[in-house]
Amino acid sequence: MTRDHSDLAAKQAALVAALVAGAPVPDGFDERRLAAARQALLRKRTGEVARDWPVLAAESEWPGWFLGWAAGRPPQGGLRDGFDFARWLRAESRLPDAAAVELTIREALWRYDGQRPPRQRRLPTLRRIGGTWILQVLGRAYLLRG
Amino acid sequence: MRAGWPSGVGLGWRAELAGLYDKLPGLRFTEVIAESLASSGRPPGPLTHLLQRGVTVIPHGIRLSLGGAEPLELERVEFLARCAETLNAPLVSEHIAFVRAGDVAAGHLLPVPRTREMVDLLARKIRQVRAALPVPFAVEPIAALFDWPDDELDEADFLTEILSRTDALLLLDVANLYANARNRGADPMAVLDRLPLDRIAYVHVAGGCERDGFYHDTHTDPTPSEVLDLVTALCARRPAPGFLLERDGGYPPGEDLYAELDAIADAAGHPRITTAGSVSRHDTPLTP
Repeated sequence: MTRDHSDLAAKQAALVAALVAGAPVPDGFDERRLAAARQALLRKRTGEVARDWPVLAAESEWPGWFLGWAAGRPPQGGLRDGFDFARWLRAESRLPDAAAVELTIREALWRYDGQRPPRQRRLPTLRRIGGTWILQVLGRAYLLRG
Repeated sequence: MRAGWPSGVGLGWRAELAGLYDKLPGLRFTEVIAESLASSGRPPGPLTHLLQRGVTVIPHGIRLSLGGAEPLELERVEFLARCAETLNAPLVSEHIAFVRAGDVAAGHLLPVPRTREMVDLLARKIRQVRAALPVPFAVEPIAALFDWPDDELDEADFLTEILSRTDALLLLDVANLYANARNRGADPMAVLDRLPLDRIAYVHVAGGCERDGFYHDTHTDPTPSEVLDLVTALCARRPAPGFLLERDGGYPPGEDLYAELDAIADAAGHPRITTAGSVSRHDTPLTP
């Protein structure tokens, strides 16, 4: 089937790239409509990340800083997008304390290398962030404030 | 025996709304996003509770990419079949759309070019899906802010052609119909009249909002009166099918959602599902 539809496949790939990966609008498409669709996709994606990362999404700079980061980066689902974005903020030393605790909780719950989809950890883990200890047992996280 | 055909007014299953379904004594059907279920297709506790109440639960896929240039991913089709079995569902539904190209996922349903090549491709894939499912298959045309320059057919002809070449049913979304017509400057009632309404399995209803000169089918805003008018118009043209409200965020207080469900019931001439006294039985399947 791919062989029969190779032209279609290339056109679909160009359209997806224009919508989520910052590529130019393919010939013949209405630029204004595609721009509106691109923004709508970003808004939907912002909502998905906010559902999985409520603390991050409660920060005062949300959603502006996420929209800037996400434009041009293809979506990977709310959990993974939030992971990548929070780690990026942490690497830039811009991740607020409350959101850093949320990220550490997620890291105690999920094994995620930034490449493949996150997988739930099976073994107990213990993490510390500032004065907070996070203990994960059987997929549940417990916060112990020191 | 399979659960009953979708009838009356339903509310799409969302975990965030789990507390509301028990307060809908007249609820006869709901729909669950198939990909939100475990890979076994087994429903979570609260949804199992609804099944035990006798509520029909329809698996609604969003990642099959029927309109993608790539071959069908058979494990996704098998998963939908598994969902139909675990939910004892009377049908499965998906979209006339594509959601990925190569390795890149769009994260949303995207419109396909309405060409003869696409009609062939969709007809072939739909037949392939149907052959793998234990139940009928319904396809839903999506809302889109743009069209392809390659288009050869308008939406009504495109859909009619696909359905005439398969035994698929139509999951009509009157909010999508409204959004597309409005954004193209067309009359939604005129579009409605050209659709194969006799093939309808059930109908989606949802809200949206105006932004940057376009109407956006957000599922996070209340259902506008123009969409309710389409519900009424549809029921004037054929026996009233089941109507399902989709809400995906910006969840309002329960009372607002109940009022919206009542407004849909009133527009369709269906009994309200928010009160026990109004429960009525629609045991005649509306399958064509």
